[in-house]
Amino acid sequence: MKRLKFKKESCIGCQLCAQVCSAMKEGEYIPSRARIAVETYYEDGNLKYKDSYCILCGICAKNCPSGAVSVGEYIQVDMDSCTGCGICADKCPKDVIKIREEKAYICDTCGGDPVCVKTCPQHALTFE
Amino acid sequence: MKITITLRGSLRKYLEGENERIVEVPEGCTCDEALRSIGIDYKEIKNFGFVAVNNMRVMIYAELKEGDVLKAYPRIYGG
Amino acid sequence: MTMTGYQNRVLRIDLTNRKYSAEPLNMEFAEKYVGSKGLAIRYMYEELKPGIDALGPENKLFLTTGPLSGTPAPCSGKLSVAAKSPATGTMNDCSIGGHAGIRIKYAGYDMIIFEGALERPGYVLIDDDRVEFHDASDLWGRGSHETEGILAKQYGIEYTVLSIGPAGENLSPMSCINSDYYRQAGRGGIGAVMGSKKMKAILIRGTKGVRVPEIKKTTERMIELLQTDVLQEDNTYIYDCGTTAFLEACNDGGILPYKNFQDTTDPEWTEYNGDILLKYRKGKRGCGSCGLGCGNFLQIGEAVCEGPEYETISVAGPNAGVKDPFKIVKFNQVADDMGLDTISAGDTIIWAMEMTEKGIHDFGIRFGDADKMREYLILMARREGIGAELADGVRKASEKFGGTDFAMQVKGLEYPQYEPRGSWGMSLSYAVSDRGACHMRAYAPNVEVFEAAAPPYTAEGKGQIVYDLAEFNAIKFSLCICDLWGTIDYEIMAELLTMVTGRNWTVEEMSEVGRRVINIARAYNQREGFNRKDDTMPRRLAKDALTRGPAAGQTIPEEAFNDMLDQYYKIMGWDENGIMPQELIDTL
Repeated sequence: MKRLKFKKESCIGCQLCAQVCSAMKEGEYIPSRARIAVETYYEDGNLKYKDSYCILCGICAKNCPSGAVSVGEYIQVDMDSCTGCGICADKCPKDVIKIREEKAYICDTCGGDPVCVKTCPQHALTFE
Repeated sequence: MKITITLRGSLRKYLEGENERIVEVPEGCTCDEALRSIGIDYKEIKNFGFVAVNNMRVMIYAELKEGDVLKAYPRIYGG
Repeated sequence: MTMTGYQNRVLRIDLTNRKYSAEPLNMEFAEKYVGSKGLAIRYMYEELKPGIDALGPENKLFLTTGPLSGTPAPCSGKLSVAAKSPATGTMNDCSIGGHAGIRIKYAGYDMIIFEGALERPGYVLIDDDRVEFHDASDLWGRGSHETEGILAKQYGIEYTVLSIGPAGENLSPMSCINSDYYRQAGRGGIGAVMGSKKMKAILIRGTKGVRVPEIKKTTERMIELLQTDVLQEDNTYIYDCGTTAFLEACNDGGILPYKNFQDTTDPEWTEYNGDILLKYRKGKRGCGSCGLGCGNFLQIGEAVCEGPEYETISVAGPNAGVKDPFKIVKFNQVADDMGLDTISAGDTIIWAMEMTEKGIHDFGIRFGDADKMREYLILMARREGIGAELADGVRKASEKFGGTDFAMQVKGLEYPQYEPRGSWGMSLSYAVSDRGACHMRAYAPNVEVFEAAAPPYTAEGKGQIVYDLAEFNAIKFSLCICDLWGTIDYEIMAELLTMVTGRNWTVEEMSEVGRRVINIARAYNQREGFNRKDDTMPRRLAKDALTRGPAAGQTIPEEAFNDMLDQYYKIMGWDENGIMPQELIDTL
């Protein structure tokens, strides 16, 4: 099964991934609503990386009290069953999940053809 | 006469990835002619930059002497 | 007409009264000047009355994005930071990388304008619609890096921090504004404008979005341009080497300056060149929406910086008689932390070296004194000791101590690291550039030196060459697109702008906007009293001949320089004194 992979040495912190993700999913360039958040920053003289991307661990699905989240080739959320309780977001080890207006928004790898991977200029994000 | 051709950046593909090669060219050969002997026609290559002989920029039609090192650069953009 | 891509919102912050308000963007201005550089200058022309004190409360700081900012248009992450320049008295528009540009757009604004001045040192926090004024008395006096570190720990990395170092606090005309630690709005004393407003830092966070028509189609096309045009080998050398790639080319090209522009080429350049420096690279970095990632994060022992860029390597290396790469990186680090422009501060220090060696005035520093160079940076930033004599730049220092012939500056802005005797058009470019000697307006070596059959040592045709380059950059930086997407052309620019704004922009209009931007900047300066007498060339270039490299023997005769100026003025439609006629000003 293919998953998103991140090679941090190749990441230049351009955040194009979040921009195109939000474009496809939200109809705007609005990284705060993307299902991915990757960036680089300096801290105490060192280059650090933040890598919030879905690794298909399935912890969200395992913990969802209403069974709204399912894991297959990718995560899917049944928005009718989702109550926005936020447990999935709390448990997500990669801090990917966003709760908005009482619904959970999780990366679904664009149905197996992730646009973030197609965009990443330095192939830091791959799907393999 | 023998000269050395050195290529920089993306032009290196014309020497199959080698950095430099010693080539045999006729006496009084120009930089342009020497490059064409290894398949580089500067007018045809969109990103052809400039040439330097023995680390000094010269015009493309400058003449070469025995033992010269001819360096060709791709375009670099900047400021 | 409405154009998408813009937020159609300008945030105006009144520092004096600690108030703020949002207003619509002047769409008439946007129609004519697009964004970033052009839009900023038009606003400055409108709002900054002639004759104001650049360090006074009437000056304003404009942070201006373009319609492409915040979209995945490749290399669109830069931000224009503009104000009247304390160094020159002309307009000044700087370009800073990092993530401030996209964050301002995501906060919902096209532009943020800071007016007036705080009573006491403070920092301003912008989080979408909310603006907060905070006390910065315990940050004032700290280096820029320390300041960013403290604020990042307090507020988190979602905030972009723009900050000044001690140099800006002490109103140095060579002070810069930093962001992401190692990115700068560098020149013309822009840091001092922030310092005069007692603003230590600006924090920006945004959770809003940017809308464009047919977003899926537009995004796909942008991805296509990224993968096929931007990421081709013609541009990707900048990922591989950063701007260190210019070292060898400039050295061979005969435009690498040596010991305060006394000569060119450095026979020992291989000791600090890209190959050496990049061995210490620990990571790569780019700006928001970048595809190329020019930033090289280096660590040589305890010298750390993202860089150094060609300008810094050159001014702290061959131009200072230094060969040690560690010391060059350390110079970069100290300059960034102090908040000093490496070009201007470096040029001033190396002038002081020549003054000392020639016995004209003993500034206590000679070529090769790399460690002292760093000490002097700190002294200049704090205006202490010998630093006080040098803190106001090379023009003021040479007016006081002599050596004006080799004080390399135009209008008070110090010379970037390209020797014009090796590329005559560059002397014209430096002379007519809108903010003093700047290499980012028309980068003549691109056409005169780095080109196979171009003659560098003549005045012929240079007016047109410089104009074409200046027009191209003027529109490019108004979109804005970063310099380093070198293969972009007018067609692609028109296409990107059309896709994002929903208005059909043509190639001719791109050209018109470029020309208009050059003219509005000139009009601003003209109103401040600038004309031909200020479009100058340092006497050294006419008097002293180079002795090394391909340009050995070259000087630029005054007649040649004047000829180039005449050509340029004619192309622009200005008179022989470089003055724009009123009919032309009225069209702006």
